[in-house]
Amino acid sequence: MDTIVAIATTPGRSAIGVIRLSGPESLKILRGLIGDDLFAPEPNHVYLKQVVRESGEPLDSALVTYFEKPRSFTGEEMIELSCHGSPVILRRVLDLTQNFGARLAEPGEFTLRACKNGKMNLSQAEAIRDLINAQTDAAAAQAARQLKGELAVALQPAKEILIKIIVRLESALEFVEDDLPRIQSEQIEKDLAQVVVIVEGLARTYATGRTLREGLKVAIVGRPNVGKSSLFNRLVRMNRAIVTEIAGTTRDSISESISIGGIPISITDTAGIRVANDSIEEIGIERTHQVIADADLLVVVIDGSTSLSDEDLAIIAQTIRSRHVVAINKCDLVRNSEFENRLKLSSQVVHLSALTGEGLDGLIAAILAPFGEVDSEAVGLLITDCRHYDLLRRTQATLEKSVDLLSRSASEEIVLVGLHNALQFLGEITGETTTDYILGEIFSTFCIGK
Amino acid sequence: MVFDEAFDVIVIGGGHAGCEAASAASRLGAQTALITLNLDLIGQMSCNPAIGGIAKGHLVREIDALGGIMGRVADRTGIQFRLLNRSRGPAVQSPRAQTDRALYRVEMRKMLEHTPNLHLRQGMVSDLLVKNAKILGVEMQDGRRIASRAVVIAAGTFLNGLIHTGQRTYTAGRAGEPASIELAETLKRLGFPVGRLKTGTPPRLDGRTIDWSAFHAQEADERPVPFSFSTDRIEQPQVKCYVGYTNPSLHETIRENLNQSPLYSGRIKGVGPRYCPSIEDKVVKFSDKERHQLFLEPEGHDTNEVYLNGFSTSLPAGIQQDLVRMIPGLEAVRIIRPGYAIEYDYVDPRELGPDLQCQRISGLFHAGQVNGTTGYEEAACQGLVAGINAAALVIKGLKPFRLRRDESYIGVLIDDLIKQGVDEPYRIFTSRAEYRLALRYDNADQRLRRYGRELGLVGEGDWERFNQRQNGIAVARGLLKEVRLRRADSGYSAAVDITGSDLGDSISLRDLAMRPGITSETVERLLPFSARDQVTTGELEAAMADNLYAGYIKAQEVVISRLKHHDSTPIPEGLDFRTLNGLSHEMVERLERTRPQTFGEARVIPGLTAAALSTLYVAASLQT
Repeated sequence: MDTIVAIATTPGRSAIGVIRLSGPESLKILRGLIGDDLFAPEPNHVYLKQVVRESGEPLDSALVTYFEKPRSFTGEEMIELSCHGSPVILRRVLDLTQNFGARLAEPGEFTLRACKNGKMNLSQAEAIRDLINAQTDAAAAQAARQLKGELAVALQPAKEILIKIIVRLESALEFVEDDLPRIQSEQIEKDLAQVVVIVEGLARTYATGRTLREGLKVAIVGRPNVGKSSLFNRLVRMNRAIVTEIAGTTRDSISESISIGGIPISITDTAGIRVANDSIEEIGIERTHQVIADADLLVVVIDGSTSLSDEDLAIIAQTIRSRHVVAINKCDLVRNSEFENRLKLSSQVVHLSALTGEGLDGLIAAILAPFGEVDSEAVGLLITDCRHYDLLRRTQATLEKSVDLLSRSASEEIVLVGLHNALQFLGEITGETTTDYILGEIFSTFCIGK
Repeated sequence: MVFDEAFDVIVIGGGHAGCEAASAASRLGAQTALITLNLDLIGQMSCNPAIGGIAKGHLVREIDALGGIMGRVADRTGIQFRLLNRSRGPAVQSPRAQTDRALYRVEMRKMLEHTPNLHLRQGMVSDLLVKNAKILGVEMQDGRRIASRAVVIAAGTFLNGLIHTGQRTYTAGRAGEPASIELAETLKRLGFPVGRLKTGTPPRLDGRTIDWSAFHAQEADERPVPFSFSTDRIEQPQVKCYVGYTNPSLHETIRENLNQSPLYSGRIKGVGPRYCPSIEDKVVKFSDKERHQLFLEPEGHDTNEVYLNGFSTSLPAGIQQDLVRMIPGLEAVRIIRPGYAIEYDYVDPRELGPDLQCQRISGLFHAGQVNGTTGYEEAACQGLVAGINAAALVIKGLKPFRLRRDESYIGVLIDDLIKQGVDEPYRIFTSRAEYRLALRYDNADQRLRRYGRELGLVGEGDWERFNQRQNGIAVARGLLKEVRLRRADSGYSAAVDITGSDLGDSISLRDLAMRPGITSETVERLLPFSARDQVTTGELEAAMADNLYAGYIKAQEVVISRLKHHDSTPIPEGLDFRTLNGLSHEMVERLERTRPQTFGEARVIPGLTAAALSTLYVAASLQT
């Protein structure tokens, strides 16, 4: 096994940048980096060391930690160097490690080695991938939860009930001549329903989980000059978009990533929708339509200081089938109840002032509301992986079919097809249950044998 | 080396595995010797006098479809036929029969005596003659040397057999017969990994001392379902079995005497089958159960012996007598033969290929209990496969024969054995077959007859019969599809009554037959008069079963193919499991024993944890 190296922190300028080494040569490479062949660090202790260039001159001072195998993330010998976060310095350090024999890691190779060395299972590895990709705190917390194997733990009760049912039905089939208790179909139906509830409950968290992981795409739309860009700036808390009095100033869509309540949100300011005055604006409006089609939620901005125009109504009509919030801007100027009365029935409406920031919290709440409870600390485990979601849905569907078959008095071997399939699906998340295990359960539950 | 005699194939042992092996090899054209300790005990049923049962009946049907003999002999000697699981779907129904123990031996011997190329020899094999990892023949205890190009070991419980009753032990192969000790030593000397298993048998009672009125009678089926596709009807008069129960005071007495049980005093080291526990085990492990079911099974027409099924025990013979007398109806009973436990050697079946040939020594085959299985049917099907493959070594044009898991229970059994090994006596169960719905007792011929014919084990008459049945099933399939039941038809309201739901203005018999409660008799009555003579009930049932399961089999295949996707990931030949740090010593050992070639093979190794599997999976995908 060779020694791999990678920059562990996100690329770009930052306070510190972490470089990780993993493999049998890690310590030797570190000694080369700091020009001290005798350096024998205590595992898990932090040392301040100078990384030196080939010429012997200092390159950077770094905090170094040595993790002795197998008690490291990958289970191998590992070194972590916290350097200053300049991309140039990090690049240089990386080059130096390669001079001393390290190889640049493939994407995910650290995790793969951790798996290989039994430091984690596949579902934990998937969570690590999420953790690395996590854009915000909440998503990171969620990924950290799965890392602890919480998903498997959450599914355990469902799996246990399912196995118990399978054991009952299998033993009735296999040991017809033995003196076994009668099968209580209603009880089994009830137990199965309970499994469905657990599985479905977990599957349902996917909408929120996915939002946490992938974030939301929110687009601000409306006719020209209603204050879309002001609102956009308010939301991203900086003057990114150029705001002028001239209608149609925003020609192209601008996006910025923000985090609200732990959810990564990509927010897009769009060109105002109207009959275009020139071809550039026309292209801008065309893009707006694309953004509308792409967004998870639209904020339709209306100028509350004027009356509702046909253009406003046309835009609302256009967005009515998408998830949307109507934001009546300029509430600092005037509050017109006419809008509310005309819009209330079909849309969620908030009053705000992009200028003063008044009503912004209401808008944020309205944006998040359709995506459910997203305080990930409060809601517990969320499904964030679409593979897991797919497996849970399959489990649920096949169990529901089995319940139906059972209620129609289908023979056990038929009901069992779905139950075994469901167990198989769950097993892809939690680890497999073998036939031998089920037989073992049968023999320990019932006194079998003539 | 000088030999007294020479054959193509030698079969050691005349039990259920040995008989099938010898019969198959000789009928395929190999000059075959069947060597057994006592020619008069060929085809002996060492334990209960019954053939078949759930999944076991499937095996017998498969043996028969391939051209084996067990089904025919059982049909000629069966004295109580019952189709089990009648209330359930056809895939889990299975025939079972009590047999006349003595008659079974006679018929089996007769069958072998009439087989050309088959030579019976009495004696004890003490040594295997091996040169350059190739079998040359066997040496007998009396010094005779017999040459052969293939040897099938089917020695049952005789290998190093040790009988326990109470604290007494003595070497024996079965009660009253000598154990095969030298052959067991030979296997060890040749380097085979040998383990120890245990099985047991209950006391046999004198039927004249039983008060039958205290028991509940269990009748034979009115229309017995035979094992063999060649059997037209069952000729033996059918008898009753009887059902009774143990009781708390009997349990108490067993508990008081546990110190005399070799099972509980630690004398018995071999592992016994969990699904066939002794009465001591039942009482100890299920102490909350107030009674355990017992079957009184007559051993034959011309004997008073009665087999007390469910009361397997190794307690001292004197205590056995006291215990059985505590059962209502057995107050005055006399035991003819006491029950006992027997320990014996088995060889790790992971030594074998799918043809049941040892990888260590070419030409040497293992079949039956030597492979760690239990049961006559399990033994017989291995004997058949080993016999065919032994013949394939010497007969030109005959190819090695193996069966797949998706086409037969035999394939499931052999695959389980050679891939996973055993840690208790292995018995077949329907749940071991992932393709359970497709592997029915009634379609064993559709699955396997063709193989039997191609091999040369299925004769002209049987083949003709098979083709007729195939045609009948095709006709039945057509009728089910085309005939519709309409609201105006006379049978309509009766059908509604059975299914408990409206059937619409018109429904095809095929769709109707999928509804719970609809039997072949119902469907038969709904067929037009002109059609009723075109198909037999059996053909109609087979067509109905095909229909019933088609959708589910498809659903099952989807899941299985999902698995196979991962399963095909190869594990690199030279992968050293010890270098995978996360694996515990135990996991490494399990992997090294099995040496899986794909992830799928690793996945089914018993006791491998999910974490170990994912570690292995990552390692495998990393290296390939």
